[in-house]
Amino acid sequence: MRRVLELAGPIALVAATAAIASGISSAHQLEFETALVMVAIVVALYVFVGNSGVISFGHASFVAAGAYLAGLVTLDPETKNFTTPGLFHVLLHAQIGLVPSLALAAAVGAAYAIVVGLPLMRLSGLPAGIATFAVLGITYDVLSYWGKIGPGVQTLSGVPEASSWSIAAGVVIVIVAAYAYQRSRFGRMLRATREDPAAARASGISIYRQRLLAFALSGALAGLAGGLYVHQLGIITPELFYLDLTFVTLAMLVFGGMGSLWGAVVGALAISALNSFLGDAENTVDVGFHLTLPNGTRLVTVGAVMALVLILKPSGLTGGREFGRWRR
Amino acid sequence: MSEPEAALELEGLEVAYRGVPAVRGIDLTVGRGEIVGLVGPNGAGKSSTLHAIMGAAPSPRGDVRLYGRSLRGLSPERVARLGVALVPEGRHIYSSLTVEENLRLGYAARRSHDGLDEDVAWVHALFPVVHEFESRKAGALSGGQQQQLAIARALVAKPDVLLLDEPSLGLAPTIVERLFETLGEIRDRGVSILLVEQRAQLTIAFADRTHVIANGALKLTLGPQDAGDTARLTAAYLS
Amino acid sequence: MLAAVNWGQAIADAIALGALYGLVAVGIGLVFGVLRLVNFAYGELITAGAYVLAYTYGWPRPISILLCVGAVVALALAQELVAFRPLRRGGATPATMLVATFAVSFLLQAIYLLAFGSRGQIVGTLGRLNSAFTVDGVDIRWILLVTVVTGLVLLGATAAVLERTSVGLHIRAAATDFRTSRLLGVRANRVIMLSFVISGVLAAAVSVLYTVSNPLVQPTMGVPITIFALVGVVVGGMDRLWSAALGGFAVGLVYGLFSDVMSSTSSVYLPAVVYGLVIVVLLLRPAGLFGAWRSAQVERV
Ligand SMILES: Nc1ncnc2c1ncn2[C@@H]1O[C@H](COP(=O)(O)OP(=O)(O)OP(=O)(O)O)[C@@H](O)[C@H]1O
Ligand SMILES: [Mg+2]
Repeated sequence: MRRVLELAGPIALVAATAAIASGISSAHQLEFETALVMVAIVVALYVFVGNSGVISFGHASFVAAGAYLAGLVTLDPETKNFTTPGLFHVLLHAQIGLVPSLALAAAVGAAYAIVVGLPLMRLSGLPAGIATFAVLGITYDVLSYWGKIGPGVQTLSGVPEASSWSIAAGVVIVIVAAYAYQRSRFGRMLRATREDPAAARASGISIYRQRLLAFALSGALAGLAGGLYVHQLGIITPELFYLDLTFVTLAMLVFGGMGSLWGAVVGALAISALNSFLGDAENTVDVGFHLTLPNGTRLVTVGAVMALVLILKPSGLTGGREFGRWRR
Repeated sequence: MSEPEAALELEGLEVAYRGVPAVRGIDLTVGRGEIVGLVGPNGAGKSSTLHAIMGAAPSPRGDVRLYGRSLRGLSPERVARLGVALVPEGRHIYSSLTVEENLRLGYAARRSHDGLDEDVAWVHALFPVVHEFESRKAGALSGGQQQQLAIARALVAKPDVLLLDEPSLGLAPTIVERLFETLGEIRDRGVSILLVEQRAQLTIAFADRTHVIANGALKLTLGPQDAGDTARLTAAYLS
Repeated sequence: MLAAVNWGQAIADAIALGALYGLVAVGIGLVFGVLRLVNFAYGELITAGAYVLAYTYGWPRPISILLCVGAVVALALAQELVAFRPLRRGGATPATMLVATFAVSFLLQAIYLLAFGSRGQIVGTLGRLNSAFTVDGVDIRWILLVTVVTGLVLLGATAAVLERTSVGLHIRAAATDFRTSRLLGVRANRVIMLSFVISGVLAAAVSVLYTVSNPLVQPTMGVPITIFALVGVVVGGMDRLWSAALGGFAVGLVYGLFSDVMSSTSSVYLPAVVYGLVIVVLLLRPAGLFGAWRSAQVERV
């Protein structure tokens, strides 16, 4: 029963968000759908960061890889010939459907994570953090200027958009995969290394291998989330996958409570909701009375709320507990 | 002579790490100018007790008094400045700093710099290496020399109470004997000493009174006259 | 592709950039040493100083600069008192602390945006230092000289405080083993506050020097400075101040040299090259180029 709850809680929340998204006007629809994609990215991040306790600043790279690949392969080759003629041959001529493009996005996310993880998972602590940050910097730089893999600093636009429900379905897949991993032998071993590295090592667990495995899975899910992102927005730039996304998703994770899947989902939705509400309030919103906030209030408030919650409750909103486990 | 005034009193002192008890209510008194021993097996809670006195271990209950004044809830630096010095287990000297700098760190807890020169001269006389190797990196000292430095560092704080956590660890038997002699000299300057040791026999013979701790509780108290009584000691260790 | 390069010029520019990043690296490294806290909001101190300079433009220069130092030090202390100390009290994990410093950085940027707008302000305090003198065909701007000299003087002063004073000894001890230093009677909070003050002074100096060559102040100007200096700190080795300073200097120097030497088509990949080097260094020497290996125990107050 408990296990059902642990998974049902996050999925119910995603379904509710999707239901609202599919039923409302287009302006708000975008915000709800973005919130869903954020859930996917944060849950992907959680698979590695939450279970291993090691911070990664590199995950936006995997999201970017998934987004660009899924976007490019679903575009019409004739358009691409015109807008981005410098692409690699395969990218220029391929055109596939939504679902296969998402599978490709997951694959490229995993591949990229493995390439990065093979050397980097040997590091830990701050050097590991900085190294993953360097990966982010490289990705952003190369994505901005290399014409063979995308339109560079120009926007990639015209990507076919998916419905709210298909995006939600993708998010649910990410959540289920994360949950399955967390309950698996591997997930348990990785959490053991987080709690007590020495004891875990003594009982024969290879920290390097467990981290690499989680990193690869996490990369795959981040790639998939990137695919969802591009099909949600229809238009992307490299800027979208750089510092802001990195910090916001990490903040969402810590804000919700980085020790649990439920925390990842709650954190992503709570900050998204706050962000949207305040964004609306900057252009007047009706909350019983008409509220109009000066421009810029949104960022200040979001920043202040994040800082405040961290100070008052360092273990996050959920305290790192799963849904349905309230008492300790 | 009147009854020796209590320099340090522990009353029902408990220590728990994340709810797991390590010390379960200890009562203990060190009179002015006394040397009190505390011996017991590994994990018995000796270091935890000393850290709790310093305010550096989580203590849910119990009290620690220094000349009648409660130290409960004070920070380690405050306790140090009130006159309690700890020579921690494993010495914890700063190996990248010089011997002289290590010694100067001991001044941090002094209430005044009056008499500093005499105290330093005294410490130099007790531990000549500290003077001799003044400008070397402390990491370049031998284990026994580092131990001497750690004690010297505690002494220049001019403490009323000295807490020693296994000072004989890793020292050769002859050096241990000298160390104990030195502790006697320190006591003669009016410093009260709580001595945690693994060398039970030696400690019992040397200290005014020695408590045996096992499983976080005091099991037995022995005086120098009991030094040969291994049976009782063993029983307390195993309890 | 190598463009036609005036090597003397390139080296002079690069050294000045290196000196700046060296200062930032020491500011970040000092607080890290004592608290094991990577303060991502350090760059926002520099930004704050730059805004003070912009808004006091036209005032007598010494006053403008003094106000800048005062404001930056106050903000550094405020970061500690309002955010970091309560977090440590609450028992936050290192990961939470790191993210909290992001939140503080983000919040300060948002405040700057709200208060000063996104368009940017111009600092002209020491603009005259942009004029140059010529040595052997190399144009040397006065600011290069001033930056290098100020950098050396401040590093020397910081080193003197740390090496020659008793509170400096306490800072060094706390940076090596926080717990033991407290047991010895070192006043933790005083040591922490003092390291924030010193790091604040260094940040203010960077505000003054940096804005001579880059006079446009914007809410996010501190972010890339923090990132590059932090990279320098880690690459150099964060367990010692001088290794952190050298690392910061090295990153600034390499960046400065490459940006002069690489042609414009390939120079867009400069950040990627620098980050690539960083990864290589970290893999070969996780403790940093100039650092000795020491398993730094994470101790908190
Ligand atoms: N920082 C800590 N966190 C959690 N548990 C601790 C900590 N320090 C000590 N303990 C536990 O508390 C108990 C008592 O430990 P303590 O170090 O006080 O023993 P000790 O008597 O000094 O042993 P030894 O002779 O080996 O030094 C042990 O079970 C130990 O595992
Ligand atoms: Mg012990």
